[in-house]
Amino acid sequence: MTKVLIVEDEVLIAREMEQFLRQSRYHCDIAYTAAQALLKLEDNSYDFLLLDLGLPDKDGLALLYEAKKDMPDLSCIILSARGQVEDRIRGLDLGADDYLPKPFSLPELHARMQAVIRRKYGLREKLVSLGEFQMDLGSGQVLHEGTAVPLSKKETDVLSYLLLHKNRPITRMQLSEHIWGSYAGEDYDSNYIDVHIKNIRKKLAAKASTEWLQTIRNIGYKICV
Amino acid sequence: MRLRTKLTLFITLSKLGIVTLFVLALPFLVERIAFQYNDYYLQEQKKKVLNVIGKNGLEYYLAGERDYGSYTMLKEEYISLEPTDRRNAGDTIATLRRVVENDTLTYRVLTHLFTYEGATYMLEVGKTAASIGQYNRPLQKMAIYLLAGLLFTTIILDLIYTRILLRPLGDIIRNQLLARKFPFKDDAPKVKTTTADFRYLDDSLSGLMDKVREAFDKEREFTANASHELLTPISILQHKIENLMMDESVGDQTQQKLGAMMNTVHRLRKIVQSLLLISRIENDQFPREDQFPLSELLKEVMEELGHRLEEKQLRFHLRVNGAVAVDMNRDLIFQLFHNLVNNAIRYNRPGGSIWIRDSLADDGSYSITVEDSGIGIPEDSLEAIFGRFRKIGAGEGVGLGLSIVSSIAKHHEISLEVKSEEGKGAAFVVLFPRAGIAKA
Repeated sequence: MTKVLIVEDEVLIAREMEQFLRQSRYHCDIAYTAAQALLKLEDNSYDFLLLDLGLPDKDGLALLYEAKKDMPDLSCIILSARGQVEDRIRGLDLGADDYLPKPFSLPELHARMQAVIRRKYGLREKLVSLGEFQMDLGSGQVLHEGTAVPLSKKETDVLSYLLLHKNRPITRMQLSEHIWGSYAGEDYDSNYIDVHIKNIRKKLAAKASTEWLQTIRNIGYKICV
Repeated sequence: MRLRTKLTLFITLSKLGIVTLFVLALPFLVERIAFQYNDYYLQEQKKKVLNVIGKNGLEYYLAGERDYGSYTMLKEEYISLEPTDRRNAGDTIATLRRVVENDTLTYRVLTHLFTYEGATYMLEVGKTAASIGQYNRPLQKMAIYLLAGLLFTTIILDLIYTRILLRPLGDIIRNQLLARKFPFKDDAPKVKTTTADFRYLDDSLSGLMDKVREAFDKEREFTANASHELLTPISILQHKIENLMMDESVGDQTQQKLGAMMNTVHRLRKIVQSLLLISRIENDQFPREDQFPLSELLKEVMEELGHRLEEKQLRFHLRVNGAVAVDMNRDLIFQLFHNLVNNAIRYNRPGGSIWIRDSLADDGSYSITVEDSGIGIPEDSLEAIFGRFRKIGAGEGVGLGLSIVSSIAKHHEISLEVKSEEGKGAAFVVLFPRAGIAKA
């Protein structure tokens, strides 16, 4: 089980993160201050550090520097509301693997963590079956009886994201934010993500049933396997 | 008209007017003075004669004759004494004709009656009218020359002085109004002047601009702080809902409600994030040092929005010179065009068109126009569309997209122009400053 240290001074945010990640089978500890974080880092070995930069007692980047000195293999995603370009650059220079501006969505955090883990350690299971299809998590290809079904980059992204959170509903908003990031615009009630799902369904349905890709009315989509 | 021009005109015209009036009145005045002096002169001559008579007796003149007459060489003056029957009626002065040695001449004549040893005599002292006005012309000429010289000198002096006097005003206009741009970050240099009014004006303007800057800074700071502080509770709400939605024990109906709540939270988040973005742009938190070709950036924008074009079945035409590169913040320029094109899509009709084209003017200015065949913008809303929370009609969006565009444009000194006719689409012209263009 991946061990995660959440360093976040907002108690409620830290707890919600913990709850979400625990459901996704991570083991989580919480530190509300840099001092607590350093103590915990000394006593335990973590795989992942989720680091808020705005800590009450110390700059988050300084904490990252110290943590990385002792544990160079520690993966780290910086969570920051400051949103300054220099923070991002300095954080990545100090060895952070990713930078997620606050406020983020929890499924997005999970996806970013998975991406870091995949990049660092490869995949434990490469092929996941989706009904009569199989998805290659490494290349993103969807296979039917061994041959790849051609999907666009964005369509692959949509499928991978839904698959990562399989059996859980993902809203259109969460999906569009994952795919289009901060440029998703202000179209809070737009359903243009539907166009992608329609295309995916059309391409896959030519080969076999896509019952596993479910629409949840007024909310979004879910992969049930 | 400028103040200096007005003053110059007034000074010149008023002086010319007064001088003209004087010159016109001059002959009349000079003649009057000459006549008055002449009358006085005749009185003096009369007194002299009477004095002589008083001292030496009338016989001194008459020398036994009945009457006496005498005139100067050229008959310019004469004097005559003769007995008369007229009763005394005081002195009279009149212009009369007199015959002197066969010449009939016009004289100014003083007539005086007096009695001497029981008899009444009449004394006449005369001076030719021609000799009275003999200095009039040279006097007038002299006066006109003198006046013209004085006039010229005073006008020159006045102009020089008003120029010096008004120079601080020009400095104030230049330093305070023309050279400074909103939000007046740099202090204007103090204007050197000894005129209290200008000092007051300069100080007041500086004070006003400081106040504007302070208010602007405060608003900016408030927006930044408020947005930032709002993001934490929004995060908490969002995470709580996300966790609830993941809970498998939640029923379908509750899940629907959670989905709706999630959308609302998302909307709230977008508003706050947009405000934060605007305040970050206004706080100069974006470096400007990227250099990139615009055509590539526009292609990326279109790729990002491709799905939306498809959804509305819009035709899209991109004709932009591939060589033009700008020196600006890439993320911000991306956002600018993203928002403009997004609007062009949002307010378009199904099956409509979007054109993006550029133009390089002879003077080196470069512009890109984003045009759509959509519903257009009513004329009375054209001014307001860049304001915060403005949108046309109901529907999607929170009304901050163009406000962000306008902030980015200001940040990079880009000017924006909107042309639109209701029902016939809208065109946004993005005019890049020459300083921002790296390659053309």
